[in-house]
Amino acid sequence: MSSPLQMPAPGLAAETRGGSRRSQSIIPGFGLTMGLTIAWLSLIVLIPLSTVFIKSAGMGWAEFVAAGLSPRAIAAYKVSFGTAFVAAIINAIFGLVTAWVLVRYQFPGKRIVNALVDLPFALPTAVAGIALTAIYAGNGWVGQYLEPLGIAVAYNPIGITVALIFIGLPFIVRSVEPVLEDMSAEVEEAALSLGARPWQIFFRIILPAILPALLTGFALAFARGVGEYGSVIFIAGNMPFESEIAPLLIVTQLEQYNYAAATAIATVMLVASFAMLLLINLIQAWSRKRMDG
Amino acid sequence: MIGIDNISKRFGSYAALNDISLDVRSGEFLALLGPSGSGKTTLLRIIAGLEFPDEGQVSFNGEDVTGLKVADRKVGFVFQHYALFKHMTVAQNVAFGLSVRSRRQRPPKAQIRARAEELLQLVQLGGLGGRYPAQLSGGQRQRVALARALAVEPQLLLLDEPFGALDAKVRKDLRRWLRHLHGQMGLTTIFVTHDQEEALELADRVVVMDHGVIEQVGTPEEIYMKPSSGFVSDFVGETNSLPVSVVAGRPQFFDRAIDVEVAPAGDGPARLDFRPHDVSVCGEGAGCLPVLVTGVYRRGGDWRIEGEVAGVDKPLEIDMSAASSPPQIGQRLGLRINRGMLFAEGVQQ
Repeated sequence: MSSPLQMPAPGLAAETRGGSRRSQSIIPGFGLTMGLTIAWLSLIVLIPLSTVFIKSAGMGWAEFVAAGLSPRAIAAYKVSFGTAFVAAIINAIFGLVTAWVLVRYQFPGKRIVNALVDLPFALPTAVAGIALTAIYAGNGWVGQYLEPLGIAVAYNPIGITVALIFIGLPFIVRSVEPVLEDMSAEVEEAALSLGARPWQIFFRIILPAILPALLTGFALAFARGVGEYGSVIFIAGNMPFESEIAPLLIVTQLEQYNYAAATAIATVMLVASFAMLLLINLIQAWSRKRMDG
Repeated sequence: MIGIDNISKRFGSYAALNDISLDVRSGEFLALLGPSGSGKTTLLRIIAGLEFPDEGQVSFNGEDVTGLKVADRKVGFVFQHYALFKHMTVAQNVAFGLSVRSRRQRPPKAQIRARAEELLQLVQLGGLGGRYPAQLSGGQRQRVALARALAVEPQLLLLDEPFGALDAKVRKDLRRWLRHLHGQMGLTTIFVTHDQEEALELADRVVVMDHGVIEQVGTPEEIYMKPSSGFVSDFVGETNSLPVSVVAGRPQFFDRAIDVEVAPAGDGPARLDFRPHDVSVCGEGAGCLPVLVTGVYRRGGDWRIEGEVAGVDKPLEIDMSAASSPPQIGQRLGLRINRGMLFAEGVQQ
């Protein structure tokens, strides 16, 4: 691309005149909307998050490691990321089934089921946490049957996972649904006519097609689970080294006026989350690219 | 041989097929031709086993397959919009039908790969096996779909509007190529189309359908030259229609006897159909049809003349050799219909 000050070669004049000035897109408004996007993201996301880094940069490296990578903090990361990961995987399976049922079949009460899926978005998370605790505690509706079997759900990482499954369900269902709706019946009929059995069609045709969307939903559910606080603290039991999640540890440090330690833990979580989301995005981009050529 | 006996199919209160019977001969290239809503695609899907009839029977070589699903009928099906597996390479698409077989019937991997390449050669896409469908043009994708359908060695090939999504030039090339391929392989093939030109060019026999019933079955020649009903005459090829009344076996247009060679018909109101090329200019004499020229343009080696006849709403279309100079707009011509077809107008349909 030649700079506007240079004289273009005669033969290229027409091309260059049309092409080099400003954006080549015929859809107007790129400058304005991009500017707004950056300003908005800065105000809402980047500036608040950068204070975390600035605050933690104020402390020395040794101090940062001592606070951010203390055994208690590391145990908390393991609980947070581990439970969020397991919950997102379980959600991916059952969320896919839910989306499948909602897209493929007509049944009475479908609208109600549809609305139920979104409920975890709207409900105050504390309410969810308390309700789940009440049900899964040793004397609760469900807990009383599980306890004799030696399964305790409340007050340990299993309970955290249950809460995160509740929180994350809509992400999977809502990401997968539109892609399932878009899949043409012809593709499945083609596979059928070639002699494929239903399970082969699911694993070899449908699953690969919806995988990018499923990954998106997984990433969203996972990210939400890592940061979830409200519903988890009621059911978790919050035992350090056992069922203490990282967000709770941050709050605990804050309550003890230990701001430096709180920001150090926050920084580690931020970096880890960002790295994971970036990785998932890359996998997604790769699988999309393969399909769209 | 494919037998279709008294097939009926309803979708809710809508009768898609109404008591259809048809025999398809082995090795035949058969076209199901009709406007949208004629039931042609439903019939094809019933033959494939993608849809099941409410009544009637489908048999392959005398064996009743009515209850068999598509996977068990050994048919190859090609869809209008290709329906390729987007996340698989072209070679994987073609090999799919072999690779989903149970372990006992599945050929070894190397053999599957060789077969896929062989089929890609056959559809003239050799060397493109590593591409993804998104990297191919429409015509190439449809050929991949065809290779994929042929991979399972079907006893019957079914094509649903196979050229419908392609542009005119590609369509024409692919059509000729498919005709050639059929000649090579001799596989019984049924295809659905709404394009009469396509049906007449490709098929050994054409089945013209409308509103869930078969209007006529015949060779392209029979369908074009001896349409059995006004619908077929109108739908296949270009047709001019005059409202006439038949008196003593001869057509009359507003009390004017028309001098035309037609198969005799019963007295009463009728429709006289004739093709644009079945006319010649005559004088003002008796039996000639007076026409006012309203438009003239070139159509290949002919002049296409549009003309008005008093008492007829739709302008007539007439072909005249471009070897002579064309008539002028506004000129009056006398036309003689060399060959016509009479269809009794019974109760209005």
